[in-house]
Amino acid sequence: MFGLLGPNGAGKSTLMRTLATLQDADGGSARLGEVDMLKDKDSVRRTLGYLPQDFGVYPKVSAETLLDHFARLKGVANGRERKELVKALLQQVNLYDVRKKALGGFSGGMKQRFGIAQALIGDPKLVIVDEPTAGLDPQERVRFLNLLSDIGEQVVVILSTHIVADVTDLCQRMAILFGGRVLLAGAPLELVESVKGRIWRKVIDKAQLAEHQAKFQIISNRLSLGRTVIHAFAEAAPDASFAPTEPDLEDVYFAAITGHLTPSAPAPAAQVG
Amino acid sequence: MIGAIAWFEIRGRFRLISTWIYFGIFLALSFLAALAAGGAFTGASVSAGSGKVFANSPYLLAGVISALAEFGVLVVAVIAGRAVQQDFEYGVHPFFFSAPISKWQLLLGRFLGALVVSSVILASIELGLWAGYHSPWVDAKQLGPAVRWAYVQPYLTFVLPSVLFSGALFFGVAALARKMLPVYVGSILLVVGNLIAGALTRDLDNKHLAALIDPFGSNAFENVTRYWSIAEKNTRLIPLTGDLLVNRVIWVALGLAVLAFCMWRFRFAQHVSERAKKAQAEPVAPTPSTPASQLKPTLRYGWRRDLGLVPSLSWMLFRDTVKNVYFAAIVFAGLLFVFGSAKALGSMFGTNTYPVTYQVLGLLGGGFGIFFLVLITFYAGELVWRERDAKVAQIEDALPVADWVPLLSKLLALVGVQVFLLGVLLVSGVLIQTFKGYHHYELGLYVHQLFGINLVGLALLCVLAITVQTVVNHKYVGHVVMVLYFVLTLFASTLGFEHNLYRYSHTPGCTYSDMNGFGHCLGPQRWFELYWALFAVLLALGTRLLWVRGTDPGWRERRRRISARFGGKVALTAAVTLALLVGVGGYIFYNTNILNPYRTSVEQEALSARYEKAYKHLEGAPQPRIVAVKVDVDLHPKTPSAHVRGTYRLRNKTGAPLSTIYVSDVSREVAPEVTQEALTLDREAKRTDDDLLGFHTFELAKPLAPGEELSLSFAFAIQDHGFTNSGMETEVVHNGTFFSSTLSPHLGYQPTEELTDDSARRKQGLKEKERLRDLNDPKGRLNTYIANDADWIDFDATVSTAPDQIALAPGTEVRRWTQNGRAYFQYHRDRMLNFYAFLSARYAVKTTTWNGVKIEVLYHPEHPYDVDAMLAAAKASLAYCSKNFGPYPDPVLRIAEFPRYASYAQSFPANIPFSEAIGFIAKVDPSDPKDVNYPYFVTAHEVAHQWWAHQVIGANVQGETMLSESFAEYTALMVLKHKYGVEGMRRFLKYELDGYLRGRGMERKKELPLERVEDQGYIRYQKGGMAMYALQDMVGEDTVNSALKSFRDQVAYQEPPYAISTQFVDALRKVVPADHAYLVHDLFEAITLYENRAVSATYRPLGKGQYEVTLQVKAKKVQADATGNETEVPLNDWIDIGLLDDAGRVAYRVKKRITAPETTFKLDVNWVPAKAGIDPLNELIDRDADDNVIKVERSAS
Repeated sequence: MFGLLGPNGAGKSTLMRTLATLQDADGGSARLGEVDMLKDKDSVRRTLGYLPQDFGVYPKVSAETLLDHFARLKGVANGRERKELVKALLQQVNLYDVRKKALGGFSGGMKQRFGIAQALIGDPKLVIVDEPTAGLDPQERVRFLNLLSDIGEQVVVILSTHIVADVTDLCQRMAILFGGRVLLAGAPLELVESVKGRIWRKVIDKAQLAEHQAKFQIISNRLSLGRTVIHAFAEAAPDASFAPTEPDLEDVYFAAITGHLTPSAPAPAAQVG
Repeated sequence: MIGAIAWFEIRGRFRLISTWIYFGIFLALSFLAALAAGGAFTGASVSAGSGKVFANSPYLLAGVISALAEFGVLVVAVIAGRAVQQDFEYGVHPFFFSAPISKWQLLLGRFLGALVVSSVILASIELGLWAGYHSPWVDAKQLGPAVRWAYVQPYLTFVLPSVLFSGALFFGVAALARKMLPVYVGSILLVVGNLIAGALTRDLDNKHLAALIDPFGSNAFENVTRYWSIAEKNTRLIPLTGDLLVNRVIWVALGLAVLAFCMWRFRFAQHVSERAKKAQAEPVAPTPSTPASQLKPTLRYGWRRDLGLVPSLSWMLFRDTVKNVYFAAIVFAGLLFVFGSAKALGSMFGTNTYPVTYQVLGLLGGGFGIFFLVLITFYAGELVWRERDAKVAQIEDALPVADWVPLLSKLLALVGVQVFLLGVLLVSGVLIQTFKGYHHYELGLYVHQLFGINLVGLALLCVLAITVQTVVNHKYVGHVVMVLYFVLTLFASTLGFEHNLYRYSHTPGCTYSDMNGFGHCLGPQRWFELYWALFAVLLALGTRLLWVRGTDPGWRERRRRISARFGGKVALTAAVTLALLVGVGGYIFYNTNILNPYRTSVEQEALSARYEKAYKHLEGAPQPRIVAVKVDVDLHPKTPSAHVRGTYRLRNKTGAPLSTIYVSDVSREVAPEVTQEALTLDREAKRTDDDLLGFHTFELAKPLAPGEELSLSFAFAIQDHGFTNSGMETEVVHNGTFFSSTLSPHLGYQPTEELTDDSARRKQGLKEKERLRDLNDPKGRLNTYIANDADWIDFDATVSTAPDQIALAPGTEVRRWTQNGRAYFQYHRDRMLNFYAFLSARYAVKTTTWNGVKIEVLYHPEHPYDVDAMLAAAKASLAYCSKNFGPYPDPVLRIAEFPRYASYAQSFPANIPFSEAIGFIAKVDPSDPKDVNYPYFVTAHEVAHQWWAHQVIGANVQGETMLSESFAEYTALMVLKHKYGVEGMRRFLKYELDGYLRGRGMERKKELPLERVEDQGYIRYQKGGMAMYALQDMVGEDTVNSALKSFRDQVAYQEPPYAISTQFVDALRKVVPADHAYLVHDLFEAITLYENRAVSATYRPLGKGQYEVTLQVKAKKVQADATGNETEVPLNDWIDIGLLDDAGRVAYRVKKRITAPETTFKLDVNWVPAKAGIDPLNELIDRDADDNVIKVERSAS
């Protein structure tokens, strides 16, 4: 499973849509095995499962009916096979009990799981999931990530998200995308390793933030118990008030998008799997 | 607070593009309406009464504004409904509920906001009209002095109250339902329901009720202005009085009441159900499963699989469309409309026809037509945008399916919807027939018309609508484009775009006749259909290239995709289709423009103008007269074609030798089906031919001496050469040939070819012309109004036809025989006008005799319904005329049916062609007091023409038709009077009166007194009938008939100078008693109108079963000039005073001399009348005939 991390507007969805044949690329290339993903759209569509960001459903149609419809379009021509497949997929995403219910009544998490079910039709080699956890409550999110992780064991999954924890929890490889460019790519643990010893922490008052930002290379700040915790990026302790801290992926991410961490390797955006 | 809320609503609305689109639509519609009424498009008449009623007159402005505002309801409903419903849709209502405002403040504020926005949007109607009339394209002659207030006043009296009512209604509906669906459905039902109600209440009775129950006030408007003269229409603002005032007050009050009720019922809280509504409960335990990844279903791709997807996808889309509630609502509204109008199927004189299939099909096609357009426009958008609207597009677009699959499926689904609707219409048609007790179901005809013809046009529109939605790639803009397309097609022909080759989906069209079926028109029809079908394939291919898949593309991206998609297969298909299209188009062009001359109507007018400019100076040049006509006509119904060969005997009736003879014949340029084959004189002459204009000059080597004769022979063929842009010609057909001597050559310049329409003449650089010569112009008296090249002719005709048909011509049958497998009929008539016609069809014949005269009705075997009535009418009319006016000259009288390509009956000597549309399928219910036996009436009228036209014929001047049409109408009324009695005449007279008043309201130039009638149907028929009926009631039937008889004896079969109307008026003066002399002037020489009214009526018992009735009446007489300006004239008239019994019959009637505007009468009777009044039979011309009688109350004293 490959994680594509970046803030809103970084170009994640554009990349996803381009890979999913929905948008033409201005340049560059993408390959899936032998297939030129930008030219041979038909072949891509046959091996692709795609869960778009913010997709909809026909509210009055049941989960079973719509999934059957998608399966038919995906190439499952045999009615009996399709029925079996739909049943299995709905069981896999734990929607079998509500298969007759209209999709309009589904919660956000159920809808996302339905989305995954449709992306898995026809044994795809590549599954693209675009911001699937946005808007899910914590419980739903956990359930969804579990599902995704199961799937990730069998096929290549590209997960785009702006939530660092999603990547931390799931991905063996990742890239950080910002302003339409890949800033960093690699295995999450290695990336965390690479900033070890360069992240410094300090707890300050909110009012001091501006002053610190001007003075130090502050990559992130967050509130904790009414005070502000800041992380700075530096080869050595910026001053005595900063304490070293164990970095995590979030520090890598913030260091990258604030421009303090330069790519250690050429962008491997399309070399996945 | 309310103000702030309203302002919030208004500001929000005006920021939405839709508000301005609505504004723009109504602006454009009214602008176009103004252009059309203002004569910017030749021949288009959107206006109710063009001509002298100015396009920008207060009357027309009010009419157009109120009519457009009715459709404005659709917008008002959306604005008002959204004002209250959007909070629920966006889920922001809790904010408002928890805000410190009362529900009254919130709702009232929102409502006021919606009201203001709606009012502003509908103000675009006034703006559009104003701009239209001030634009440079309108014909200044169509405009009168601008009355600025006339734009504002209808807005205040019609638009605002309607906005208030409909706004309140739909605001209330949306507030209570918290949904828009009932609002959409309701608004469509309101508009359509109102159209139906209008159609139903257009009947003669219950006008006041009709005026009150119409929420938009159109009926009331019509009531108030029904009998306004031209002058009044041009100057008067619509007074807010009477029915109109009551109507407006009622509906505004009702609107406010609805609003108040809904506000009261509105609960300022969330619905309980809404709060309870939660997402589906999460299943507790995961179900054990076989992992989907272990299933390896067979996956199939490729075009075969894609093609296999199309049926199921189409079916799914189709099902979703027709299961939709909106769809059901629109269809329901359409059916309501169709069934509503079925009540008055084929109505003439308030009497229905039998629901024969073509009538029902006409009703279905006409009544439902607009709904097809709405449904195609709307659902093309829904289908194209279906996935994107539901945000499923990104998933579906990434699935391995070819681009053309969704396109084709959507197209098929949309066409499927049309098939479904046509099926519903078929069932409706059969139901209508069944309800009306008609069981001759012609399912084959239904299927042929609906699925063989209508469906093709609809399918072509479906392709266009899908293409537009794809190309425009914006749903609402797509709708607007389609609406613009529909509007433009309405005006295309008036803009000179008349050729079906460049008017998408247009075909010549096929009129079905029970007699002739579709005739030979299906061939050309199919060629045009094929042509447009090929074009539609190209459209679909283009749509496939532009089909949106994935993210919404810009134009640069779309161009790139086109080139990516434009592969070999597409190119090949496009090339083949294009080649076929060019081939078929070329074949059509060869037929319409090379085999036949093609001209737009303006070019056709130019040709007429050329004829007039070139030869007008020869009008009145001395010519010989035709004294005998001998024609041989060979009809070939199968081909169908005809050969006509004839010889005229010409005699120099002038006192001087004639050296030049002019002959006008029918040019192929005018009638492409006519081919002139020969035109020769039997003496030496130098000839000059103008074949283009059909004018030939013969300069005789030796002049024709006075009294000397010579022969002119001619031959021409009638046969379509291939086909024309208008499809088939209807003169010679498979079954039901009917053509007249207008196709034969005529001597001299023929003024009938001249353009008559003033604006057309101006465009061709010709001066406007009078409709007729002045009554006293001696030149006009040289000819009858029928022919200018003959007086009375000897007529011989031999007509041959297919052996199973009977061929007819005027006169008596001399002989019939069969030769070479063809049937021959020979006819002869002496002393006939130079006007004749030929018919041939497979007829059933029913015969009777009267006094040795054989009366025949030749009819289509499926139309036996009214044959007996016609026979009876012919007998009665023959008897009446023979007794009162003189003997019938022929031993036979035939009435023969012809197809409905024309809808009139026409009298020739002993021969009366009668259209299948106006009498052969009438369903006269003798028990219905409102039904008029019009087959009987029309037959009586036509038979009377055997005297009034074929014996007495008017000179070609003003008043010409009084001596034929008015006399025939009078005779028919007399025949009816003797059949139904005086009381029974009321229903006929009511139609005559209404027809006259309506006709004068629509007069294009000037109204004239009866004795100067020009080409004015409402005068020569209705006014003529009324006037002479009233006259005979006042001075006695015998008196009038004696004048008619003496006039006939004086002028029958006369030579020039021919009779004029004043000669008859003089004859009348001699027999009418002195105290009735005023009538002759009032009825014939002036335009006289009465305003009679019953004011009060009471009765008082006198004891011994005697009662005294006291009746107070008002009377007023006015005389109008040509444009309707009225002058009151002193009253000294005989007018009926009458009493009506409980059944509404005029049981007591007495003529009283009335001299004062207000008079009280005391009448002693031995019964209690129900009603009493003045002129209770409506014999006098009175604009408000309904107020003539009043209920009789018991006297208080």
